[in-house]
Amino acid sequence: MSDEKKSCCNPEAEPTVTRSAAPMWIMVVTLTLLFFGGLFMDSHGGWFDAKVYAPYRSADELERFQPKTGGSDAGARGRKVYEAVCGICHGNDGNGKPAQAPPLAGSEWVTAKGINRLTHIPLEGLAGPLKVGGKDWNLNMAAMGVALSDEDLAAVLTYMRTSWGNKAGEVTADDVKKIRAEIGGHPQPVNGEKLMKLPE
Amino acid sequence: MKTGFSVFLAAFVALGASWYGLVYGPVKQLGGAKETTILQSSDKWPLQRTGDATLGLQIYRAAGCAACHTEQIRQTGAVNVILLTDLGVHQPADFKEFMKSLMVVPELMNYSNTIVGNLENWNGELPGTLYRGDSGDAVSELGKRLKPLGIKTEAGIVARGADIARGWGYRQSVAADYLYDAPVQLGSLRAGPDLSNIGVRSPDANWQLQHLYAPRSIVKNSTMPAFRFLFTLRKKMDGQDAPDALVLKPEFAPAAGYEVVPTAEARQLAAYLVSLKNNAPLYEAPFTPITAAK
Amino acid sequence: MNENEHSNQGGVGAAAPTCAAAAAHPPVETCVSKIDASCRVPLLALFGGAALWLVLGLVLGILAMMSFHKPDMFADCAFLTFGRAQAAANDLLLYGFAIPAALGVMLWIFSRLSQAPLALPIVPIAAANLWHGGVLVGTISILLGFSTGHPWLEYPRAAAVLLFAGFMLVAVSAAATMGFRNHRELYPSHWFLFAALLWFAWSYGTANLFLVSNHAPRGVVQAIIDWWLTNNLLFVWLALAGIGIAFYFLPKLAGQPLAGSGYAVFAFLTLVFFGTWCGIPPSAPVPAWLPTISAFAALLSLIPIIAIAIIAMKTVWGSGTACMGGPFCFIRFGTLSFVASGILYVSEFCPRYSRGLDFTWFNFGVTQWQLLGFAGMILCGAIYEILPRVMQRKLPFAFLAKANFYLFAGGVVLYVIPLVIGGVEQGMKLRDANIAFADASSAALIFLRISTTGQLVILLGALCLLLNIFVMTMQWKLGLVKTFVTAVKDSLVEGSAYQPLPCDKEAKP
Repeated sequence: MSDEKKSCCNPEAEPTVTRSAAPMWIMVVTLTLLFFGGLFMDSHGGWFDAKVYAPYRSADELERFQPKTGGSDAGARGRKVYEAVCGICHGNDGNGKPAQAPPLAGSEWVTAKGINRLTHIPLEGLAGPLKVGGKDWNLNMAAMGVALSDEDLAAVLTYMRTSWGNKAGEVTADDVKKIRAEIGGHPQPVNGEKLMKLPE
Repeated sequence: MKTGFSVFLAAFVALGASWYGLVYGPVKQLGGAKETTILQSSDKWPLQRTGDATLGLQIYRAAGCAACHTEQIRQTGAVNVILLTDLGVHQPADFKEFMKSLMVVPELMNYSNTIVGNLENWNGELPGTLYRGDSGDAVSELGKRLKPLGIKTEAGIVARGADIARGWGYRQSVAADYLYDAPVQLGSLRAGPDLSNIGVRSPDANWQLQHLYAPRSIVKNSTMPAFRFLFTLRKKMDGQDAPDALVLKPEFAPAAGYEVVPTAEARQLAAYLVSLKNNAPLYEAPFTPITAAK
Repeated sequence: MNENEHSNQGGVGAAAPTCAAAAAHPPVETCVSKIDASCRVPLLALFGGAALWLVLGLVLGILAMMSFHKPDMFADCAFLTFGRAQAAANDLLLYGFAIPAALGVMLWIFSRLSQAPLALPIVPIAAANLWHGGVLVGTISILLGFSTGHPWLEYPRAAAVLLFAGFMLVAVSAAATMGFRNHRELYPSHWFLFAALLWFAWSYGTANLFLVSNHAPRGVVQAIIDWWLTNNLLFVWLALAGIGIAFYFLPKLAGQPLAGSGYAVFAFLTLVFFGTWCGIPPSAPVPAWLPTISAFAALLSLIPIIAIAIIAMKTVWGSGTACMGGPFCFIRFGTLSFVASGILYVSEFCPRYSRGLDFTWFNFGVTQWQLLGFAGMILCGAIYEILPRVMQRKLPFAFLAKANFYLFAGGVVLYVIPLVIGGVEQGMKLRDANIAFADASSAALIFLRISTTGQLVILLGALCLLLNIFVMTMQWKLGLVKTFVTAVKDSLVEGSAYQPLPCDKEAKP
């Protein structure tokens, strides 16, 4: 029969289709997949919450992974800000980078008893000679603290004063607020000489 | 499917449904998004880009960088961790006994097996892992109970995943990260490394320029094409280097008397790359950095 | 044996077609050659451009991949840097080759199934010009750096408008042709191809309105819409067009009826309802409900793929027709590629697999399999089957047409399989953070070398196609000139009459 078909069927005949329905098994498979897929959507879909991203499966699970107060959280915040803003140049270990930024670990400016001079540095920036730990530095630093909130700047300064072997007191958000108000609207970059003229 | 109309109707309903769910739905849910704040801070996220960096995004798009680089970090999970960093005046043996007695506290009862197990395996070295798992409540309870005793702990949430283990990011990328990107350049192939955090890994614009001009001078077997058309090769003026001339290794440097200077496009692209940072935790992608961990 | 539909064609009776039955039936009423001839110029316009863009797209694709074999090749040439050349090549394969070729085949299938000449033939000719103009503008824009930045939607607004206008014109002609059919019941190919008309218009139009505009939504929504479009074009649209065409040619070339209209309805409905929701990758930086929906839809999309595979197998099984490098080979290979590439495509959306497959060459390999292995093969086979009929002459290089199949088949295997395997290898290495990234990337390099040779082989095949179409067009044009000259001469000589070609003369390929 197939030989006959090969040789004589009109090649210009349009194709035809037989009338048979889809088999039952494929319907059953489809419904089964629909069911299990529905379960999957229920468990992984986060119920259309805009804040739930995979791998979190629900708003409750996301809430369980939010940082709670406990442990030393001001220190954590200070470290977070430091590593995001200052660590790039001063190093996450506080040792500075040659020709880029002086060290903060063991720096007399960081561990000084008074916090006024230290706070002026991130709020005004540096331009000009500055002696740190006996070495001369003369680099420019942008006023990296101007964009930080009072709490964040206080936290990061406190972090610097209590890390890498530094042992000094904390800087509060009120201190920062007061000094920011003193500086006013036109901060000018300071250097070693100008800093020494400020009260401790 | 007897008539053209029924075919049209089926196709219309099918495509309309997916249009509604995958186009209209997300536009309603995410399209009007505004800035969000960083977790536990009042700082805004995402960070605003400088003018050069904004123009640099267009250079990135025009050069087709997204064909080889992605800008999205993935995460496979997260753990709440609390580490012991300083025992204060206490001895390890006393500490272990105290911790065992603490396990009757209702918040810690369910996790006592894990915590006690960690303590048995602990050899006394600091930092030691007290708890690592799903429960933020266990973490905060432990921290609260140990703080008045002068025992220092460090608590945090650590994101897990291959991308994070590679140092490409701290947490997964979320919608809020792309708010100011026009167009969004997520990328779909990693012929080169992910760039979401390249501004944190390589914050120096000069490094970026050197890498664009001569990738193989920085990564030996890199298959990244050199983007020399973004730079100008010119004769040195008065024999002096221009201030922004690239410092290149000898085998990649131009002939004597010539220098390579970046064009404005190159500088914009470098500014854009340096602006790519994804290091702030958000509500939908929480993490806290733990430096005491190994 | 089951009852057949369309029974007004000579040679096909109610029961199994036998020689005796064919001889007993009266000759055809409608003139098949007239139908074919009415399609001639529109199809030449569409196919000629498509073949040219296919060659150009493959060339650009090879030049792009040279960046991996010799990275400094285009260091000083902004036009051919990998990002631009690759985007241009991808768009040329989809918009330059696949869509116009599919539209041309669709027009011919509609007019054949309607037993009526193509309606409004001038419309698709104008459409083809608009379309190819749009592709030209778009490709040059990408190479000059004006791409929109959205994958598979890189053509700027001017080119997109030209493409959309061209498409709508073809859609008008196709719909009109389908409307003029004598036999009111639709054949399965009708459903797939007619749905494809709506599909492209809506998805392409929406995506461009949202993304290639001054008021694009902010942020990651752009990526979501782009993923929706990519899925709807590369998976659903190519499936609708390709399977619609395959369901026409498979029964015709095998000499057996298509296996089951109910089955085909099921395949069609599940394809359009489930297939369109895939597209959002599991790792996407979007809220969890989106990739979850896509993963669910991807699992369900296995159903139409399996159904189509079974229909195709039943249609072809036992036909005993040898294909010998002819169009039947192309269509069978293409249908097989659809099933294989479809299953791999769907697996990308499974969260567990995507961790190892994301951001590797796997995704690229599967896309090229869909474009060249599935759509390319089916369209080439269809073109080789259609062209001799509409031009009413033999293929000038029939040997090259056969070689085309073997070159394409071998080329696609060499091109796609290494990409898929290399992607899996790269993905496994990327998952392990202890393996340096440079090692994970270089693991894929050997596979890229093999796949570029595959691209070269495919290019040779595409040149065969281009040559055939080009020479056929030239022969036809020369023939027109000759006929005109003869007619002028004859009209000047009194008494001789111009004899038109007999209507029922048919050219066998």
